[in-house]
Amino acid sequence: MNIPRLGGDGVWRWLSGACVALSLLAVVALLVLVVTRGLAHFWPADIEQLTLDDGQRIAGIARGSAAGEERYFTANRDLDGQVWRWVETQAIVTRETPPALLYAERRDWGSFIGRLTAVETPAGERLQGAEAERRLRRALAGDAEVATLYVRNVEGRELKVAFAQVASIAWPNRMDVGDKLAAWGHGVWRFLSEAPSDGNTAGGVWPAIFGTLLMVMLMSLVVTPFGVLAALYLNEVARQGPLTRLVRIAVRNLAGVPSIVYGVFGLGVFVYGLGGRLDSWFFAERLPSPTFGTGGLLWASLTLALLTLPVVIVATEEGLARVPVALREGSLALGATRFETLRRVVVPMALPSMLTGVILAVARAAGEVAPLMLVGVAKLAPEIPVDGEFPYLHLDSKFMHLGYHLFDLGFASRDTEAAMPLVFATATLLVLVIVVLNLTAIILRHHLRARHRALEHS
Amino acid sequence: MTEPSTAPPRPNRRLRQRLDRLATGVIAASGIGVVVAVLAIGVYLTLAVLPLFDGAEVDIDAAPSAADDGAIHAVWLADDGTRWLTRDGHLRDAEGEIATLTTDTTIASVAESGKTQPLALGLGNGEVRLVPRDDSGRLRWAQASTMRLFEARGVVALTLRHAAQGWVLAGRDTQGKVAALWHTGEATRRLLVPETAEHIALGHAGRLAMTQGTQLTLWQLSPDGGGKALARTETQAPVTALGFLQGGRTLIVGDAQGGLRRWRLSPDATGWQVAETSYTALGDAAIRRLIALPRQRLWLALDDSGRLGLYQSLSGQRWQGQAPEATPPPAVSINAQGTQVMWLDATGALQRLAIEAPHAAVSPATLWMPLTYEGHSDAQWRWAAAVTGDEEPQYSLVPLAWGTLKAAAWAMVFAVPLALGAAVHSACYMSRRQRARLKPAIELMEALPGVVIGFVAGLFVAPFVERHLAGTLALFVCVPLGSVACGWLWRMLSRRWGPRLPPISAGVGLMVPLALLCWAALSLSPWLEAWWFGGDLRAWMHQQWGWDYAQRNALIVGMAMGLAIIPTLYSLAEEALSGVPRPLAEGSLALGATRAQTLWRVQLPAAAPGILSAVMIGAGRAVGETMIVLMVTGNTPLMSPSLFEGLRSLAANLAIELPEAAVGGTHYRLLLLGALLLFVFTFVVNTLAEMVRWRLKRRYRRYGGDA
Repeated sequence: MNIPRLGGDGVWRWLSGACVALSLLAVVALLVLVVTRGLAHFWPADIEQLTLDDGQRIAGIARGSAAGEERYFTANRDLDGQVWRWVETQAIVTRETPPALLYAERRDWGSFIGRLTAVETPAGERLQGAEAERRLRRALAGDAEVATLYVRNVEGRELKVAFAQVASIAWPNRMDVGDKLAAWGHGVWRFLSEAPSDGNTAGGVWPAIFGTLLMVMLMSLVVTPFGVLAALYLNEVARQGPLTRLVRIAVRNLAGVPSIVYGVFGLGVFVYGLGGRLDSWFFAERLPSPTFGTGGLLWASLTLALLTLPVVIVATEEGLARVPVALREGSLALGATRFETLRRVVVPMALPSMLTGVILAVARAAGEVAPLMLVGVAKLAPEIPVDGEFPYLHLDSKFMHLGYHLFDLGFASRDTEAAMPLVFATATLLVLVIVVLNLTAIILRHHLRARHRALEHS
Repeated sequence: MTEPSTAPPRPNRRLRQRLDRLATGVIAASGIGVVVAVLAIGVYLTLAVLPLFDGAEVDIDAAPSAADDGAIHAVWLADDGTRWLTRDGHLRDAEGEIATLTTDTTIASVAESGKTQPLALGLGNGEVRLVPRDDSGRLRWAQASTMRLFEARGVVALTLRHAAQGWVLAGRDTQGKVAALWHTGEATRRLLVPETAEHIALGHAGRLAMTQGTQLTLWQLSPDGGGKALARTETQAPVTALGFLQGGRTLIVGDAQGGLRRWRLSPDATGWQVAETSYTALGDAAIRRLIALPRQRLWLALDDSGRLGLYQSLSGQRWQGQAPEATPPPAVSINAQGTQVMWLDATGALQRLAIEAPHAAVSPATLWMPLTYEGHSDAQWRWAAAVTGDEEPQYSLVPLAWGTLKAAAWAMVFAVPLALGAAVHSACYMSRRQRARLKPAIELMEALPGVVIGFVAGLFVAPFVERHLAGTLALFVCVPLGSVACGWLWRMLSRRWGPRLPPISAGVGLMVPLALLCWAALSLSPWLEAWWFGGDLRAWMHQQWGWDYAQRNALIVGMAMGLAIIPTLYSLAEEALSGVPRPLAEGSLALGATRAQTLWRVQLPAAAPGILSAVMIGAGRAVGETMIVLMVTGNTPLMSPSLFEGLRSLAANLAIELPEAAVGGTHYRLLLLGALLLFVFTFVVNTLAEMVRWRLKRRYRRYGGDA
């Protein structure tokens, strides 16, 4: 048989190919991991009831296994003092999924797994068995009232839970796929629309979404005019010479400066410098408690605007450079001033590229966390910075940010293990936002190039 | 429209001109603004850092004194003014007498220790009078109590320091006998030290340093009234002054030849060690007095010829000047901040020493040299700036710089081969359409926030690698071999079936086999570990080479940050490679070179400057990346070269410590110095890279390329 030579061209081709494959593989694996874990969090998994060889009974949701042991999420922190159990696979005698097991999310003490024994109405009437469950379901739908729930864990320990404490109740073992899908959708909606609870280990991320959006909007209000003007200067106004080269190098350098350094600059100049000055001028009556002299929405937006300036400049410049010179010259030849040419001819044509730049800037800002840690992000700020009280938009308030929330959940929370699903869900959301923004920018740019190509050929 | 020739001059023409000029002005201003913004960052950081290196200053001026008869013995700086204590026991302020402390004897010595412990007065009859303080540190003269230290002779030297639940006090009488009192809250025990001494000083946890001639002895007192000698040493010259610094763990010894030396109490309570270097001497006159200041481990030394020096425990001499008077002051008082010293000389004149040394603990040596810190037995680089109470801050930036460079270096080890390989592949082996498809994917990869990569690496990959270390390491061998094997297999197949195979690129086609390979390597790793390493590679490494394994380590940060900088590196390197003028490669191929030869001999050398600039910019990003390092390395400022241990980078350190640092303090400014270092590093690297790129483009243009 004719064995091909292994060497020369082939080795390098395949080795370099492996680099492409490996890089793509790493990203795909990362995205798949984050998204599947994040979305699976809302899926109402079956609750297993285990009987161990020592007679002990455990109810929980299977979450992984290692070295002959299985891990169960058993909830009931107030009864057991823990929410995780490692069980030896050999020690398990029976596994069942009794339909009566319920999974309740509470506003304090985390979730509960067990059975419903009775409910008590506000009138003091106590209902048991199936009737209790019917009543509870109606109460959850908002048709009836229930004051207190009496529940029991699998080992028979009773617990009284006020209805107001309950965020949601489900009987996952009884659900068919349709029910589970509905519950999944409901869970996703609650995640997006509710505030965090139980020390950030449960609940939703609505304040973080809102804070991120608001901060990014304020930032674009600042960065768009400055970025576009700087790009116009570089491309249209300045004579191409050493000065413009210097500015271009400066822009590149701005892009290369570590984001944390922007945070330091923001803290020193905006927060302590400007903010401290503002406080002593306008808010002296509140001192020594700072108003603008501490991290807040405004300073975070300004800091990130400075950080994303190069993104907007580079994208806009690219768009401006693609506007055919003939169009400019035509406009000038017809008697328009330079400003008129810019306003009527050049800028409208480069508008989509500016938009691209702003979108990329927004994507960058949405994912940037390090500078925010210095200039005003909060661990928990359930109040969103917009309300009905004058001045309606509170630029001095601390705010929550998705990226920082992710960091806080994963690395500073009380029970990192319990918060893990939520971390993945938050990461999914963040990745989704950034991917959508970037894809928009990429598609926009693609169309733009196609249009310019058409223009050049015509 | 009217005829142009007959039309009046258009009224808005001037307006248009003006508008044009205005717009041009605004646009130019904002362009310049960008440069200003970059400069502003650098200027701000520099201005904020500069005070760190300001010299120390001691200003001496005469203060008004209530002395009329030369009988004043001591002076205090209270919040509400200065107090004087006369030798015959009267307490005065500027208005007049406040209290009479003693009537039947004189005050022979005074000792105080911070503003929480009582003030101790040694009396001429062998007693000690203790003046307690209230919660705000003010002395309660009316509640003074008396205890007996010596039978009859006066207490001529007194030293006091706080100890567990109370205070310890030691005194020396006119004949050199030494006695101590230990107060624990409920009881006070007295101890007579069976030795005589010329100088005494009390350190931390009841350690008493005593000297007699050249003999230096360390005693350990105990709360129950016992005591034992821990160590004895001979000094080079007779000791003439002694003093413990803030915290009581460092002893400064001044001798008759003007020598100033530092001794540290060793952590294990057995004796002490002399510091490597003595301090810059004031002169050759005997040191007469050492005054420890309550902040920053600063101290003043006075010698017989009247020279006065300000020193810091680690950074050494900060200032030297002339004392108000050559004779040592009978009494000094220091305010709580350690910024003012009241100096009462023998004539009763009062001098005020204003000490301006806010950042005395910082010098090039303390930042960059290994030092022996308190509680350690050898010189090391250490960073522990956020300290509480009397702990000694450790201000070396070296561990942070080391951590930064180590993380960046490992990230480059992972990223450079992968990114350059990918760039080579897409520039040389991919069609235009394939490249156009790969580009958005890489851009998306670049957009992935560091916080997401960091959290997956820190919470998912790190525990996984800890469990599958052998498998992970095996991947570094398996993947290259496997991909070459795949290529070989593909050739075999294409020889056989040639045209029937789908035309896929190596890059995309390898994804599935490589995924399978990784999975296989990881699932086979337990057996591998069992065969070669006795079941546990980590334990084996520890046994064989003494390597420790931390879950969050440089390996993980290398992989995570490598992934984060691959897109940057790839884009720039690909740009450089595909910008190589086509005629060069075509000429090489036409002359009969293989593709690999063309790649290595023509394309890579031509693009080398561009690739270099890509690597530089990638390194700049790796050095400044914060979130990944913060989440993936345990953030311990270690100086270990090991791949399997944690680190702390400058950037992560900023994120951790800056929100807590007091504005304007030494710690704050040091953190800003760290930020400045990052800024300067990235500024220099990026500017260099930009210049390289610019030159390269010019060269390509000369060769007729299209970039």
